[in-house]
Amino acid sequence: MKNKIVNTVVLILVFWFSGCTNKSTITPYVPTPYEIEIPFGFPTILNIPADNPMTVEGVELGRYLFYDGRFSGRTHPDSLMSCATCHRQERSFEAGVDHPGFPGGFPHGITGIPTPHAMLPMINLVWNTTGYGWNGLLYPTNPNPDARNIEDFVRMAALAPHEVNGDTTQIKNLFQTIPGYPELFEKAFGNKTITFTNIGKAIAQFARTLISANSKFDQYMHGEVQLSQPELNGYMLFTTEDGGDCFHCHGGFGNPLFTTHLFYNNGKDTVFNDIRDRFVITGDPMDHGAYKATTLRNIEVTGPYMHDGRFTTIEEVIDFYSTGVLSSPSISPLMHHVNNGGIRLTPQEKADLLSFIRTLRDDEFMTNPKFGKPEKFPDE
Amino acid sequence: MDKLFRQPIQLLYFIAFAGVFAFTGCGSKTNNPEPTTGKLTLHFSHKIDNEPIVFDDMRYVNAAGNHYLVNEIQYFISDVTLYHSNGTSLLLDQWEDIHYVDTDLPETQNYIFKDEIPQGTYDSISFTFGISEEKNHSLMFVNPPESFMFWPENLGGGYHYLKLNGKWFNELDQEAPFNFHLGIGQIYFSYPDSVSSFVQNYFRVILPASAFNLAVGETKSVEVIMNVENWFQSPNIYNHNTHGGDIMQKQHVMALAVENGWNVFTANTMTYK
Repeated sequence: MKNKIVNTVVLILVFWFSGCTNKSTITPYVPTPYEIEIPFGFPTILNIPADNPMTVEGVELGRYLFYDGRFSGRTHPDSLMSCATCHRQERSFEAGVDHPGFPGGFPHGITGIPTPHAMLPMINLVWNTTGYGWNGLLYPTNPNPDARNIEDFVRMAALAPHEVNGDTTQIKNLFQTIPGYPELFEKAFGNKTITFTNIGKAIAQFARTLISANSKFDQYMHGEVQLSQPELNGYMLFTTEDGGDCFHCHGGFGNPLFTTHLFYNNGKDTVFNDIRDRFVITGDPMDHGAYKATTLRNIEVTGPYMHDGRFTTIEEVIDFYSTGVLSSPSISPLMHHVNNGGIRLTPQEKADLLSFIRTLRDDEFMTNPKFGKPEKFPDE
Repeated sequence: MDKLFRQPIQLLYFIAFAGVFAFTGCGSKTNNPEPTTGKLTLHFSHKIDNEPIVFDDMRYVNAAGNHYLVNEIQYFISDVTLYHSNGTSLLLDQWEDIHYVDTDLPETQNYIFKDEIPQGTYDSISFTFGISEEKNHSLMFVNPPESFMFWPENLGGGYHYLKLNGKWFNELDQEAPFNFHLGIGQIYFSYPDSVSSFVQNYFRVILPASAFNLAVGETKSVEVIMNVENWFQSPNIYNHNTHGGDIMQKQHVMALAVENGWNVFTANTMTYK
């Protein structure tokens, strides 16, 4: 009897281990963790959703998808549209006023419908914890689980009539048929069957790698270079209340993101009827006319400026803050120069401030091949 | 085979016996000494004229007669110290000794100390308003919201002690924003480009009527109340029309604010078993 039991156990073990051996012929799903290097002075808290950890394979796939015009779900040459159609690396992943297809830097969707707002910076997004979009409509604690992070932005962009005007089923079905993509999805997510959720996850992973932190000002912070006298003068204006007082909203040495990612009414208007301002999200009357303070990194190349793109050049923006600020009940208290119309800079001070702002330009980031268009797509 | 089959069972018996002995051993170690400590939490609230602040409402009048509203308050306190009736003092949470408070972020309005606090009678609680020179170093907070409190290098570096932002009706009956900000002050050799020295404006607050008795196992909660009107009234009557909307580069004004700050905080104590 005992022998029978022993034999049975041995047989079970043999089958068990044979099974394991057979399974090992299938390529295991073992993605490689992608480590984000945190630049000097940057926050250590990153906005990475728990259900989409960064992996080397996910980032690689995301880069292909970011640049592949078949993201529109269509293959006709006139119907291609990808993230990169608007988000150009050489313009710090905005359109820029010199975009060949979008005059003045005002993008429109595949059917010609203009976007309701100008573009926002698409850099250093992994440190945005307060909300994506001009009014912060996507934030991690949003009760709506479909409006929390960059992954959701990808889906919104695919569907929006003023962007891709696409169909998520059509998009994922198209990528399923393109040789090479199913294998990349398997490496990134463990499954050759492509879902739009995983398309969003991959693009979001790539977007989180777009880190700009090597401007002249960064090198100055590291003690590697010295700023010129006009740049130092501008830095002084940037960081003093009696000067430009830019730093309370746009950061500086102690906040090298060069934004708080918070929302302010900065005194552009006195009447507020935009259905996409911060008030729509919070319902707080003090948020009428409030929008996200954008990062000033690479701001030199990312016009047009403000949520509606009303300014084409940084000089116009500085002029606005100097003499064009308007009072309203919801103007941010940080705009304490409002009753003088602004910060009243002299022409020399304006030139110095501009010199400093130009030190925030990071050319290495805007030419780094690892953020650029892949040399060829998976089916090429 | 028979022997092989039996060996794992013997091993299991051994493990089970060993486990029983191990846990029995653990049990015999539980003759801990009687606890002698309790806990402390500070809860921060913000009032004007003894009432919770109604934010963004121009309903308040300060001692100078300025009508004003408060939009937000953000500040650091540090080095909380308890003074025992036996003459000793206890510095709390020496490894997390700087606490940020923000009226927009409820989670910042409780400062829960990790330290076990000896039972007994304490005469008072004190803290530093702001951050001492020894500890106030740039980039020691890299994460928001604390990092947003940075104080520019050219103005002394480190962090704002206080941002109290609001608006008042100025002499022209215009709504005018004020940024009542405290931090390191500057003495200028030549304004605004040349600073000859910096002034540390942090100060100690001894909370009046903050005596409490802490029993074993008890959690004492002390409400620390910022009475905002006192920033503007005692001993110096602070007139926004005189001092304007910004004071970070006006050491003589920050000095008045510091003197008024000594009387800004009061305390209420509550006990939870």
